[in-house]
Amino acid sequence: MDVRTAEDMRAGDHACAVPVSDEGLWELTSRFLARGLSVGEKVVYFDDGTSERVLDRLTEDRMPVAGALRSGQLQVVPADVTRGAFRSPVADVRSLLHSYVDGSVAQGWSGLRMTGQLSYGAGSPGGVPLSDYDRALDEVVVERGLTALCLYDHTRYTDAQIEHMRGVHREELDAPAAYDDGLLRITQTGRNSARLAGEADHSNRPMIHRIIGEALDRALRAADSDTDIELNLASLRFLDVAGAVALVHAAEEFPSMHRLVLSDVRPAVLRVLDRCGAPFAAQLVVREARAHGAGGGS
Amino acid sequence: MKVESRVPETHRLRHAVAFHDRSEDQVRRAVALARAAVGRGERLALAVPPAVESAVREALGDKDFVALTVPHGANGGSGQTTAALRARELRALVQGGGTHTGVTVLSAHDPGLDGVDGGYWTELDAALNVALGDLPVDLVCLYPGFPLHLEVLEGARVNHPLLVEGDGFRDNPSHRCPVEVLRDRDPSTPLVLGPPDVVHRYNSWQLHEVRAMVAQLAPALGFDPVRSEDLVLAVNEVATNAVEHGSPQAEIHLWATSGGLVCEVHDSGDLHEPLPGLVAPHPADPRGRGVWIARQLCDLLHVWRDGRGTHVRLHATP
Repeated sequence: MDVRTAEDMRAGDHACAVPVSDEGLWELTSRFLARGLSVGEKVVYFDDGTSERVLDRLTEDRMPVAGALRSGQLQVVPADVTRGAFRSPVADVRSLLHSYVDGSVAQGWSGLRMTGQLSYGAGSPGGVPLSDYDRALDEVVVERGLTALCLYDHTRYTDAQIEHMRGVHREELDAPAAYDDGLLRITQTGRNSARLAGEADHSNRPMIHRIIGEALDRALRAADSDTDIELNLASLRFLDVAGAVALVHAAEEFPSMHRLVLSDVRPAVLRVLDRCGAPFAAQLVVREARAHGAGGGS
Repeated sequence: MKVESRVPETHRLRHAVAFHDRSEDQVRRAVALARAAVGRGERLALAVPPAVESAVREALGDKDFVALTVPHGANGGSGQTTAALRARELRALVQGGGTHTGVTVLSAHDPGLDGVDGGYWTELDAALNVALGDLPVDLVCLYPGFPLHLEVLEGARVNHPLLVEGDGFRDNPSHRCPVEVLRDRDPSTPLVLGPPDVVHRYNSWQLHEVRAMVAQLAPALGFDPVRSEDLVLAVNEVATNAVEHGSPQAEIHLWATSGGLVCEVHDSGDLHEPLPGLVAPHPADPRGRGVWIARQLCDLLHVWRDGRGTHVRLHATP
């Protein structure tokens, strides 16, 4: 079985992925969808109560979400339609997928890529196994060259369902994390940079310290390396006081040539950092997240 | 990083008491002390009963003074909460600077705040010694020599390092430090509330559940998004303290009221510091900042200990 990343998927690819956490799920979904938006494909997300978090993550990843929704390039299929598909005969779903592909080509998009929250189908509400729908999807992928990512997360699928669906896919995507405890996910984004997603509190506090220490160690060993250690906090929704103090102290203990850069910091996290002395730490740079929300990636 | 926060002895809190016999004497002493302070070119702040305040206003004419917030309602019974609030207001006053030569605060006993036993005043003065310790203010407290609750007199005798004598102060031989004063007292248990809306047991790995409960309740109680996030932070810090320094398992109780959110956190540990979070920790100190920040964000934060463990009640209004 090949192992690629979400960005590598091209027209005619159909892969599955098993995210270890919700943060991992949002990350994979966003990376997969963002690639489609970047290459001019029509991008469809089949919602089942998860689209808000997916759109948030796309925005945090600096994708122009509002514009893409307005232009129709990004389409969120409502949860009732998603669920309705799994109560319909497989042939109907195949026709529905054909119509999506043909429609997007007619609209001038370079292709179609789709993913979504399809766990409703795992319970076989229409008496048809999820793998039957997946086989139909696979046929359409081959016939029409669409790109499909099937996500089986541990929160919404049982281990047995995951293993079964894994078995029917030719390819599984990998989404490695430096750390993921289901609450906080840390991914390495470069030699001196990492991204934090989720919530940092008393239960996972030592991990942040470790990740900074390791990044600093790498930077010090590589003479030509950048002197900034960057942590992207765009998706860090909560940071407790001790975590904020730890970041401030870490920066203060840096060698004088190096700086700790916190980028895309959300307002709530920024307030905690301010209350913990961040503005007075000379080697700490805090960059606010650009305002987003209704305006999308403006 | 080196941060120097040592404040010279002459520029730190001077906390003195003057005893009076009758309530007329309280007014007379207050007016005389207020006149003297303004005469010395000092900034004057008052935390006194309404009758005393109007007498001072009358005596000083249009001379300026600042009325400090006097606690009331559900938040009236916590001396440590009043002390934290007073520290916040006086810090702003001191930092406001101006041409004044110093700051004098007049405080006068108000029997209306005695509660069931007068213990409020003992906790308040002990907490003020902690919370105002590094502020360059003279705090003069007027207490009755014959109060209804003997506790008021006994607390005032031991809490004040200085006694007012003539135009100046002299050392109070009975003075004892806050830890000693509070160690010998009964726990300042607040009035018991009705059954909570939510009871939840949690450990270190379930703090996110505590945050989720508060985040879910706050908007429905009228907290705007920013205040909701701050409230989640405040509760998280108190809840974290319980499982980090108290016991591995703790319990949180939540009351959703028309006056905001009330929350209690109970652990079975033994808190060594009787009045946590009253002073901003030194920047180099990695611990102790959470409760201090929680106090800044809440209308009430009351900590007490008893045989079962350590307890915190906090109350926040939208």
